Amino acid sequence: MIDWAKDSLYKLEATREERFRSKPPEIGADDAQKLLHQYHPDYLGRQRNVRLGPNADNGEIPHELADLLESDSQLPVGFKPSVDIETDVLILGGGGAGASAALALEGAGLSVHLATKLQLGDSNTVMAEGGIQASLGANDSPRRHFSDAYVGGHGNNDPDLLRVLCENSENTIRWLGQLGCILDSNEDGTFQLRPGGGTSLPRVLACKDYTGLEIMRVLKDAVLLSSTQTLHNHAAIELLDDGEGQVTGAVLWNRNEGNLVSVSARAIIIATGGSGQLRFQNFPTSNHIGAVGDGLVLAYRQGCKLVNSDSHQYHPSGTAYPEALAGQLVTESIRSIGAQVVNAEGSRFVHEMTVRDVLAAAIIREVSEKRGVQTPTHRAGVWLDTPLVDLQKGEGFLRKKFPGIIHRFKRYNIDPAKQPILIYPTLHYQNGGIKIDKDGRTEAEGLWAAGEVTGGIHGTNRLMGNSLLDITVFGRRAAMSVQKSLPQRRPVTLTRLNKFREGLKNVFPRQSVLSPQLFPALTGMKVVLAEKKPKEHLNQHLESISQVSFEPPDPFAK
Amino acid sequence: METIKIKVAGELIQARVGETVVHSLWNAGKAELIKTGCVGGVCGACTITVRSPEGKMIGTDLACMCPVEDGMEVFPCPVDLALTVAPEPNPTEEKLRKAYPKLDKCTKCGSCTSACPMSIPVMDSVLRMRSGQLDKVADDFTTCIHCGLCRFVCEDGVQPHMMGMWVRRSIGSSVEKDMGKKLDHNLLQAELEWKYLLEGSPVDRMNHARQFRKNGKIEL
Repeated sequence: MIDWAKDSLYKLEATREERFRSKPPEIGADDAQKLLHQYHPDYLGRQRNVRLGPNADNGEIPHELADLLESDSQLPVGFKPSVDIETDVLILGGGGAGASAALALEGAGLSVHLATKLQLGDSNTVMAEGGIQASLGANDSPRRHFSDAYVGGHGNNDPDLLRVLCENSENTIRWLGQLGCILDSNEDGTFQLRPGGGTSLPRVLACKDYTGLEIMRVLKDAVLLSSTQTLHNHAAIELLDDGEGQVTGAVLWNRNEGNLVSVSARAIIIATGGSGQLRFQNFPTSNHIGAVGDGLVLAYRQGCKLVNSDSHQYHPSGTAYPEALAGQLVTESIRSIGAQVVNAEGSRFVHEMTVRDVLAAAIIREVSEKRGVQTPTHRAGVWLDTPLVDLQKGEGFLRKKFPGIIHRFKRYNIDPAKQPILIYPTLHYQNGGIKIDKDGRTEAEGLWAAGEVTGGIHGTNRLMGNSLLDITVFGRRAAMSVQKSLPQRRPVTLTRLNKFREGLKNVFPRQSVLSPQLFPALTGMKVVLAEKKPKEHLNQHLESISQVSFEPPDPFAK
Repeated sequence: METIKIKVAGELIQARVGETVVHSLWNAGKAELIKTGCVGGVCGACTITVRSPEGKMIGTDLACMCPVEDGMEVFPCPVDLALTVAPEPNPTEEKLRKAYPKLDKCTKCGSCTSACPMSIPVMDSVLRMRSGQLDKVADDFTTCIHCGLCRFVCEDGVQPHMMGMWVRRSIGSSVEKDMGKKLDHNLLQAELEWKYLLEGSPVDRMNHARQFRKNGKIEL
């Protein structure tokens, strides 16, 4: 099948037996730093200062994100918010953090609306494969978990936030169990614990290689059964404030109807996730279609500082071939149970279980120094020697424990149990984000945040299994904090947006795009408002959609 | 790069060999034609039906996982959310039947199994539901992405993926979880360890974390 790489495959197979027994190449802390500075995308100087707002001239961030923070709002000038929906709590985002928050508000006697740009559950959470960390092992403790994540995050973590994360892993696993999540367990009923990159003990719980899917579909089912009102296809395009510093609502764009919906809320929880689809430095991404940093833009206009926003996670094992799977994740767990990372010459060049940023940098180095494999689709990568898993664990192990990876490659006649796959780092996770405190409060009154949209917990490099924990711990914590200190209902105005627009007048050159961007630039998808749209055009569009939607051909007609 | 032509919702799209239907739409500026979510084959948003070039093979798929093929015709096939039923502790087939009375309507046509983009043996699993082999059912639906295609194609209104979810959640929430035996840190010891990790300069904290992760103990 992969004929174009047969020379390299031959070398890989020739060294397999010897490699199988070899010790992984170790890398010291200083060499790791050098490697990062030389090859990791975060360190290559493709960043700049933002020119207005809370982070102005205070640290560089990727220019793609800086552009969005300096862009004008999607809201038409002169728009006046009138209250279309009045609710106690408005959650923005329908991934794991938003759903966890909604569930933690159930029974509190508050009205809750959850608005999601896509459908509930269409998120990065659902794509998480490897697992969720919890210090359940015999010699483990929240302190040891903390130490691993702190070292992995290069000490740039907010220690107080990280402590909260680590101290809440056990109760989170119990909570997920009560909701009906099934995580892999041993014969004796204890959970299976796998190692992850940078964990000093096996600490990762999983549901095969579909952990995020298992957690998200259960959370989604529970939210749909709850009293939360879910607004599907409603994208937040601006936050509202009372003119005296409190965030009091949001303007949503209803994608189905094209109209704007103003929501008045006593508290807002922003859980809009990451920004991988901004494709920094043209990297491929493992992220969903909506991951373009919306929440960062919205909160920034409300005066919320962003922390560690210079840092993004390039997951070492994104798929490099076939093209249809480019950028998609191959879970770290496969490495943790024996798959080695090997260059075109058949040599192992890095410890497979070092932290993600170091491993990604090492792979980029191999490729840029011509020890990578070129694909016919103009990509390059190194081998992930997956057949080693079955050699080590017995035939059929990979198929049984990693059905996801087997399923995806099968279509291309690639069987990862029998042949290696080609990988290259893929833009995976937004390490930084909105600054929060231990209760998920942002710096703006009335505004809380949880999940990937926040920054500080993971420092400048997140460990595997800590994001599923992050969303479930901090989503619920934000909800608890909202219950404890729910602000009074206040008027909805665009005072902060108007100030921001005043500030923009002094920023040159002006950005040509509007933000939040909502969708990847690549898709060309734009906010189109019904009242601005010529009537016939809108009707035509809806008609053509409904024709194809409601009359699909019978899929089983012969 | 080599290009081919496909038809999506009646519109001719120029696509690059090797890419998926979703990416061909993005590149053609027609992303709105198919509702899209995770772009990774697990959220179930981008359900489609596909007719291949000779007009023969026709079936269901996910647009984000479906590589383009010259002359193929793609039709969006969005599936609405179904009403869900709350899980119950200690599930049995009787309880399942009560939650989803259409369980017994299955006529064993096999459409659900053919429609499943995850290759789940859906029909076999529905039959297992009837006979109460619920642990096996839970296992069958481990990889279910809730796209709803099995429900969409069922002429008798059976809702396999909803029942699969009900079974999994019911079983999952019935099991008392064993959280393992841990070193019984007393609170005082735990506080000492936190102090060791949290206090001092950033350099101290890093050194302490490096030391502590070696064996989970403070070594002075």
